[in-house]
Amino acid sequence: MIGMSEAWLLPVIPAGAFVALVLLGNYLPRKGDWIAVLAIFASFVLFFPIVKDLADALAAPGGFEGLANGITWLEIPGGIFELRLGVFVDQLAVVMLGVVIFVSFMVQVYSLGYMKGDRRYGWYYASMSLFAAAMITLVLADNFLLLYFAWELVGLCSYLLIGHYSERRSAAEAAKKAFITTRLGDVGLLIGILLLWRQTGTFDMQTTFEMARNGEIPQVWLTASTVLIFLGAMGKSAQFPFHVWLPDAMEGPTPVSALIHAATMVVAGVYLVARTLPLFELADGATELVVAVGLLTTFLSATMALVMSDIKRIIAYSTINSLGLMMVALGVGAPAAAMLYLFAHGFFKALLFLASGSVYRATDQLEVERLGGLWRKMPFTAVTFGVGVLAMAGMIPLSGFWAKDEILVGSLDWGGYVVLTLLLLSLPITALYMARLFILTFLGHPRDEHAFKDAHEAPASMGLPLLLLAVLTVVAGFVVFDQVGRAMGFPGGIGEFVFLEVPEAFHFDVSVAIGSAALVLLGLVGGWYLWRGEAEPARRAGELAPAAYRTLRNKYYMDDFYQAIIDRGVLAFSALVAWFDRKIVNDTGVDGAARSTGLSGYLLKFSQTGLMPNYALAITAGVVVLAIIALVIGV
Amino acid sequence: MEAVAQQIPLEHFLTLSGILFSLGVYGVLSRRNAVLILMSIELMLNAASINMVAFAVYTSPELFIGVIFAIFIMTVAAAEVGLALAITLRLFRNRATANVDEVHQLKW
Repeated sequence: MIGMSEAWLLPVIPAGAFVALVLLGNYLPRKGDWIAVLAIFASFVLFFPIVKDLADALAAPGGFEGLANGITWLEIPGGIFELRLGVFVDQLAVVMLGVVIFVSFMVQVYSLGYMKGDRRYGWYYASMSLFAAAMITLVLADNFLLLYFAWELVGLCSYLLIGHYSERRSAAEAAKKAFITTRLGDVGLLIGILLLWRQTGTFDMQTTFEMARNGEIPQVWLTASTVLIFLGAMGKSAQFPFHVWLPDAMEGPTPVSALIHAATMVVAGVYLVARTLPLFELADGATELVVAVGLLTTFLSATMALVMSDIKRIIAYSTINSLGLMMVALGVGAPAAAMLYLFAHGFFKALLFLASGSVYRATDQLEVERLGGLWRKMPFTAVTFGVGVLAMAGMIPLSGFWAKDEILVGSLDWGGYVVLTLLLLSLPITALYMARLFILTFLGHPRDEHAFKDAHEAPASMGLPLLLLAVLTVVAGFVVFDQVGRAMGFPGGIGEFVFLEVPEAFHFDVSVAIGSAALVLLGLVGGWYLWRGEAEPARRAGELAPAAYRTLRNKYYMDDFYQAIIDRGVLAFSALVAWFDRKIVNDTGVDGAARSTGLSGYLLKFSQTGLMPNYALAITAGVVVLAIIALVIGV
Repeated sequence: MEAVAQQIPLEHFLTLSGILFSLGVYGVLSRRNAVLILMSIELMLNAASINMVAFAVYTSPELFIGVIFAIFIMTVAAAEVGLALAITLRLFRNRATANVDEVHQLKW
């Protein structure tokens, strides 16, 4: 019987597939892609008994606090240090697992078509398997150290997959940028974990939370480590000011963008904050910080998405937008809302990316200003993409609407009208750029006849995931209704089962819902007005405020700012270090030692006579002298 | 073996080997002819062998460590003499002398 205790199987199967693919991939038919797909499918199948087991445990009297299970891998006796490999299963983990495993499965199936004929096809699937294993480990980890290990591993996979087309300089640069930028946050995460360990003496999360609740961690250290952990989440989840890496990460293959940079890895930061929320709630000002960062990220990304011209980059900015929303939800103390949004977002964002991948396969073009009119050639892609667009915009009754609504209600409960107003303000902007994206890509007249001419629908292996994801995008939001959950066999509704403890049950506020729906509609209509036909009104709007347009186009000059810091600061300092290394360490130290040895050798060689008796005498005299010394000091 | 150990004290062996070794050292330092120097070196090696065997007999007679060492030293000495005599032969062929103080080319 497979239950929660066997949850460790979920990451182990894809990890095994990774090993098999790396060792044997080139000798297997089809480069072994079927191993990867079968492995993730096996994990997908095993996921259901685990959910069932969790449901039974929750229904049982006495409540359920999560199930920890694992082995001690390394131990220094005396309770000094213990390294565990353990899994922890609770509702939070199961929600995240569902998204990770399902989207991984869909993306790997989609990749069968999309990556066909790629030069590093086998390696691509190996990396995908490794990513799936690492991501599932991250979700299930019961201690901070294992979590950090998996956290770095997904970062590595992200790096490898962004740089999949490493022959292209921009891809290599983007991979480097993503790796280094997230690393800045990861350093914070590591220090935060170590600070917590200093205070508690354990890496186990649940124990740490318990000690924090009992006030056993001094407030100042708790706050410091919480903020540092949040730094890690900011890096991974592309929050301001670390958001710059995510748009560039679109250099990777589109399925990778769908899986790693939309549905799973980037929401690892959200998951981390949700997981450690007990600490955030106890630390001073941590939740306020999360809300502030989330709001800032939401606004910056939404406005930048308005003027970008690359399909994938626009969707990337919309992802940052969504991540900001999720952070706000966590900050206002509504993890249920954040996880619901994460759940819905995983589906509709993967859908958007995969559909844009189909567009790219069909037209070899990602610039929206050169597309247009594609709905006539690709009606299926257009419809599924449209579903994703409406869900992202937050249109009733798609999943995005329900999730976003929970966040709005949560923020209303937390901070009154200030946070709510700011969030509502971002809604029409989101709707506006999503409408623009759809209109420029699929409606109107084709702007590039060449790209349009050969456009065609994708093969079935690419179409099927789109269809499934589109269906889920439509229906996933209905889990907020208890009746739906009960119909699926979950006691008390899936919403109550999965997402929350009772006090955070979903609550539907009619006035907020109407208001947000109206704002979204306003944004969509505005988008239609601005970009329909030849997009003349949009051009006029851009000319109306050229400075603002330029600022947005240049991403608030943040990339330039970072570049300047790197050029003036990092590179200048590096030049100093390099000078020190070359002149002092190398020329003076290494070369100097070599030259002085050479010089003394040159001077001493003239003492050589070449006569054997002299050397024999020297040896004998030496031995005698040594013997006398030994006798005198009495060794 | 044990009979020998009871009759002759260890010091006698050590004195003998010390005398032999000193003779060898004297020969190496005072002789000019390469062949005679080699013979002196043989004396030193044999002095060492005697030491080995004597200590072995007095400390752990049931093991043959010292004897094995002596045989080992003889083997090395034989190889060394073969090599050294060959060098001496080449030296004589090239420079018409076997006196070591007449060759000092091996320097800077």
